[in-house]
Amino acid sequence: METRVRKTGLTHKLLMFVLMIYLLIPLLATFLYAFAKEWQTTVLPERWTVGWFSEMFQDIRFLDALWTSLYLCSISVALSLVIMLPAVFIITVYLPKWESFMKGIVVLPYAVPGVVAAVGLIRAYSSGPIEIAGTAYILIGAYFIVILPYMYQGIHNSLLTVSAVELLGSAELLGATRIKAFVSVILPNIWPGVMTSTLLSFSVLFGEFVLTNMLVGGHIQTIQVYLYQRVGESGHLASAIAISYFIFILVLSMILMKLGKRMNRGIEG
Amino acid sequence: MSAYLELQGIRKQFGNTNVLNHVDLQIREGELVTLLGPSGCGKSTLLRCIAGLTEIDGGQILLEQKDIVNLAPRNREIGMVFQSYALFPNLTVSENIQYGMKMRGASKGERRNRSEELLALIDLEDKRDAYPQHLSGGQQQRVALARSLAIQPKVLLLDEPLSALDAKIRKNLRTEIRDIQKKFNMTTIFVTHDQEEALILSDRVCLMNKGSIVQQGTPEELYTTPRTEFVARFMGSYNVLTKPEVLRLFERVDSTAESFAIRPESFILLNEEGRNEALYAGKRIVDGNVHAVSILGNIIRYEIDAAGVRLTIDVLNDGRSHRIGDRGAVSLALDDSQLLHLEKEGA
Repeated sequence: METRVRKTGLTHKLLMFVLMIYLLIPLLATFLYAFAKEWQTTVLPERWTVGWFSEMFQDIRFLDALWTSLYLCSISVALSLVIMLPAVFIITVYLPKWESFMKGIVVLPYAVPGVVAAVGLIRAYSSGPIEIAGTAYILIGAYFIVILPYMYQGIHNSLLTVSAVELLGSAELLGATRIKAFVSVILPNIWPGVMTSTLLSFSVLFGEFVLTNMLVGGHIQTIQVYLYQRVGESGHLASAIAISYFIFILVLSMILMKLGKRMNRGIEG
Repeated sequence: MSAYLELQGIRKQFGNTNVLNHVDLQIREGELVTLLGPSGCGKSTLLRCIAGLTEIDGGQILLEQKDIVNLAPRNREIGMVFQSYALFPNLTVSENIQYGMKMRGASKGERRNRSEELLALIDLEDKRDAYPQHLSGGQQQRVALARSLAIQPKVLLLDEPLSALDAKIRKNLRTEIRDIQKKFNMTTIFVTHDQEEALILSDRVCLMNKGSIVQQGTPEELYTTPRTEFVARFMGSYNVLTKPEVLRLFERVDSTAESFAIRPESFILLNEEGRNEALYAGKRIVDGNVHAVSILGNIIRYEIDAAGVRLTIDVLNDGRSHRIGDRGAVSLALDDSQLLHLEKEGA
């Protein structure tokens, strides 16, 4: 019996090892390629360099693309937060009948493929009163829609987890105005959940390519569009960009996980 | 004495469902009134209407003769303890208790003193800096009670405050709640679906069904004189009998009522010798068979078939009672003065 358990444990470990190898080898290869100066007939690179990173950071287009991605994603997420936080709060607490309607709306980004959405948006906003096709505005609008499910679900779940309706009622009975109750009781309790949704949305937008390339690819260069363009020029440089991007997302994910853990600690007690 | 809190014709609908049907209720200052009833009878909704957390569709709520219907919850001077306690997880026990005073502009010193007094009252002085999620259910409940009392409300509302606790803690806490209520002479409305809790705690019990108060009175009145079949069934293990069933047991009955109730403890189980005892003179003796026996601690509950009627009979489990095994034959002494004549529902 003991031998059987030990065998099962070994099988699990072996499977995990194979899986990790499968997942990490491409990443490791990209990592090595990003630091390789010459690598053709050997297992490991013959000569090493940080030149590709240096070239990348010296390339004004990379920094521009990085900045563009950062501000477009930040504006979109901030806009979503400003609109969605009060909207979801009002729907959850005061208009629960609208919840099913909202749930239908927020799954739309999953239902419509990126290419279809992009073509539809370009057609709708190429002419007429709101002529914003090819500008940052259309991209921010599209980004808002893309992250709608993450923002809605995150905020909504946080409100349900903390029993926002009862907390609000309790605070009001103790003498708080609705706004004061929201700021002093609801917001601090849902904040970890809101932060998690925000960071998740940011990560999703930072990696978004299809919609961005189709909507504003010729006019605005985000980090993903830049990466796509440089892949053809130099594999080493593209690897350096991919690794930098990966590290950035890794740091973001770690912050996200830390926040998630803190939130769970609060709930579990 | 005039009513301290008065509800006049309170109406509330959710969609097409009438949740509250013209509810009238008068509560004296310092009285503890229990709203008792099954799930969905409207008792919690009525409590939320009084608190101002749910708008009413019609009627008046008078507190000290002033209509408070149009006042926001924060201006009603009403405290409420929720079923889930609704303590603020981001604040410590002490901060939770002080929250209401802070919102009402009390000074820091005043808040601290009052908080310490209340922490002593609920015996949680050592938990002042703990967060709610680190307290047990019973401790959270006591903090919720202290937080409501901190603002010195005119009326305290308790919405099934003990339902999430285990039986032992529930028993202790209900005694504590009653003691604190008496100490502060706090006008209190207590919502529960547990009839035992209602009978033990209350000055007055209001039994609700389908959005109306169907009967109210002291715990004893409600238990001993149920007016309708619903009340009889809800308040205890009353035997509710139809007229033909009563005629089979008592031979004759002078009433136009169609249904009757008789308490399970008002029967006397007899052995052979007992049949002739003078104690049972004037009582009707009926033979029956035991269908089932269950021991409820200090009570033995028999299910007995007598004259074709299934009766529930409670006998004190004092070791002296006539013990009958399963399926045994038995005689019952019936007293028709114990028979309650029930009104039709809604009459």
